[in-house]
Amino acid sequence: MTADTPLIVEAAPRAETFTVKRGMRLKGGSSLGWLFSAPALIGLLVFVAIPIVATAWVSLRDWSGLVSPFETEYVGFEKYNELLFADGVRRTDFALSIRNNFYYVLFVVPIQTTLAFVLAVILNNKFLKGKGFFRTSYYFPSITSSIAVTLIFVFLFQTSGAINAILPFETINWLDNANGLFHNVLGVIGIEDPPVWMVENEFMGVTFWQWIAGPSVAMFAIILLVSWTSIGTFMLIFLAGLQSIPESVEEAAKVDGASTFQTFRHVIVPLMKPTIFFVLTIGIISTWQVFDQIYATNFGGPQKTTITPAFLIYFQSFRNSQASLAAAIAVLLLVVIMVFTFTQRRLIKSTGDV
Amino acid sequence: MRYRTFVVLVLLMALIAACGDGGGADTTTAGGAETTTGDTGAATTVAGAATTMAPEEGGSLEGVELSLWGWSSSDAENTALNDLVAQFSEETGAVATFQPQAEYDVALQAALTSGDPPDVFYVDSLRLPDLADAGALAPVPDGAVSNPDDIFPSLREAFTWDGTWYCPPKDFSTLGLIYDPDVLEAAGVAVPTTWEELAAAAETLTTGDAAAIAGGTAQAGLSMGVEYARWGAFLFQNGAAITNEENTAMTLDTPEAREALEYVAGLYQDGYAVKPAAVDAGWAGEAFGQGKAAMVVEGNWLPPAMTADFPDRNFAVAELPSGPVGPGTFAFTVCYGVAADAANPEASWALVDALTNEEGSLAWTEAFTVMPAREAAATEWTSTHPDLEAFVAGADYAQRWGFVPGFGDVLGVLNPGLEGVVDGNMTIDQVIADTTAAGEGVLGG
Repeated sequence: MTADTPLIVEAAPRAETFTVKRGMRLKGGSSLGWLFSAPALIGLLVFVAIPIVATAWVSLRDWSGLVSPFETEYVGFEKYNELLFADGVRRTDFALSIRNNFYYVLFVVPIQTTLAFVLAVILNNKFLKGKGFFRTSYYFPSITSSIAVTLIFVFLFQTSGAINAILPFETINWLDNANGLFHNVLGVIGIEDPPVWMVENEFMGVTFWQWIAGPSVAMFAIILLVSWTSIGTFMLIFLAGLQSIPESVEEAAKVDGASTFQTFRHVIVPLMKPTIFFVLTIGIISTWQVFDQIYATNFGGPQKTTITPAFLIYFQSFRNSQASLAAAIAVLLLVVIMVFTFTQRRLIKSTGDV
Repeated sequence: MRYRTFVVLVLLMALIAACGDGGGADTTTAGGAETTTGDTGAATTVAGAATTMAPEEGGSLEGVELSLWGWSSSDAENTALNDLVAQFSEETGAVATFQPQAEYDVALQAALTSGDPPDVFYVDSLRLPDLADAGALAPVPDGAVSNPDDIFPSLREAFTWDGTWYCPPKDFSTLGLIYDPDVLEAAGVAVPTTWEELAAAAETLTTGDAAAIAGGTAQAGLSMGVEYARWGAFLFQNGAAITNEENTAMTLDTPEAREALEYVAGLYQDGYAVKPAAVDAGWAGEAFGQGKAAMVVEGNWLPPAMTADFPDRNFAVAELPSGPVGPGTFAFTVCYGVAADAANPEASWALVDALTNEEGSLAWTEAFTVMPAREAAATEWTSTHPDLEAFVAGADYAQRWGFVPGFGDVLGVLNPGLEGVVDGNMTIDQVIADTTAAGEGVLGG
């Protein structure tokens, strides 16, 4: 940041005396700056700022979504109360959606980040031939329509599909399987019956046993699908980051006697930290908003194990005529995303400079 | 300083936007009904306006533009509806157009919210309470729909909310038992007419487990979606239902309902019924078409799907088996609603009547497998569709597919619960308890 400051200081006086060709003299660079950034600012205002304010406003009213929102009643924080505190379906649904999406993020973000980084390092090898081909093929899933990719995966994962044909186990029911992955693992190591306290106690209408279920097998299939799709995009970002590292740095490390792994661990990774931070942030934000794949595979089923906040927003707004409730979910989702992003930022910062 | 200017600007813009929209809303309120007083107020105003409007004949609709929104089921249906609408335009001089919408719910919601709804639009019976409750629909004015007593009472009931009738049905479908007569004959199974016979037939016709059926090497006796839209028919057959008739109290926690749920769940647990997803089918009709099931519980939409996707598949339709108490099925229906804010209510109702009177409903349904909602027309329809007669028979005892606003939450508990019962990780008692609790929250009981 400090490197930028002199540039700005230098630029400011110039702007003060900026002369337009026709002889018009502009006083103060700030109005000119506003003028130039107006198109972008107006765009932000109309398509981002106002919708955010409107969503927050709608969430405090009782709006079905079928009449003008200006004719609705103000209900304060009732919708938030329904989602967070009042016993009922809506709180349970919201809690389940948070649980499902949390496990989804927990799996997808590390998988896609790690694999994308590894792929980028491999593709950055100057002795690799046919780079263009690999780059294109890894990037290809990212630019394909998510619905098209999802439908192909539905075929691959169905009971008589290709995945089951390849895997050497007995036939697995992937997409219509509500069993939690962690429950399955516990079952394998012999814990079939949950401890009584985990079944009898609950938080937000969901028992502790259900909270620790892990992603359902159906959700796990979606996790694999999304990881596969998004690796390409992040690989490209990592590749750009890797290519901005000057060769001389690596050479210097070699001269100092560092092995390839040491160079990677102590030179490349620290230098890539800003890029990793960026990829993680984008990854967390986008995974908390997963919708297309959910909609196209199971529409939230089986047994609600693939409902996510974004899916609930759609469902409540357009299928259940509860637009205000949907708006409240959207606001809560924003809070969740902010909490996760800031936590992640904190964690990365604490391990060194970004 | 700059930051503050920006914030001020944002707020200013928001304010301008809010005022602008508010002004727009005011003008529509002035032009239309008084809406701030609530639904009843709005309803009476519109009804009042309607009674003063005398049905005029002839070219009084000259040049009136009318938009009709719906969803598109097939090109053939679009063409048929376009023809009917064109005929109406020709006869009256109005300029009416059918505009099918992709993502219908979203498009309609946006149009209603912005205060510029289409004049006439499809309303599913499930959505009617939401729309009526929100004051988005105009009630049927006296005399606007010709010979209303001819419409099947159960279907009029489906579009009646809080004692007000909102719209005449466009057509309807019921659930029936669709089976492959060749397969049944080969197995020596008669078409089941009771629960015992259905269970026995399903058992005899099942030739393997779900994995084998999915792989195409075996067949299930019955395939049926695990949801209230199918299982509900079995509740009716045992004199039960999810709510009482007035939709004011939950009635799922009764011995009759429990018995019906246990019967249906038992078919799945014994392996004689499979859910479509378990055998790699998107819906039961697909499982039937692929030969993965010998019988399915589906409605009038199945025959065209077979013609389109599985033209070689032989099928026949029977009424659903009767339960211990009697027959029972669902009627799924869609009506032509007129927007409360319609620019020209008179012309809109004229269009609705043209599409739903005896002549119109017969012209609309005769080329298709959906049934006219009028008794006289239905009798005539049966003569051109003798193979689908069982669907019409269901109209006599069919119950409506519609609840109260917000009931989607309750079905959202019941349907996954039923899946849980079929998958073996929930008990019927749990499902009944959870659903009843959820329903009481919504019904306020």
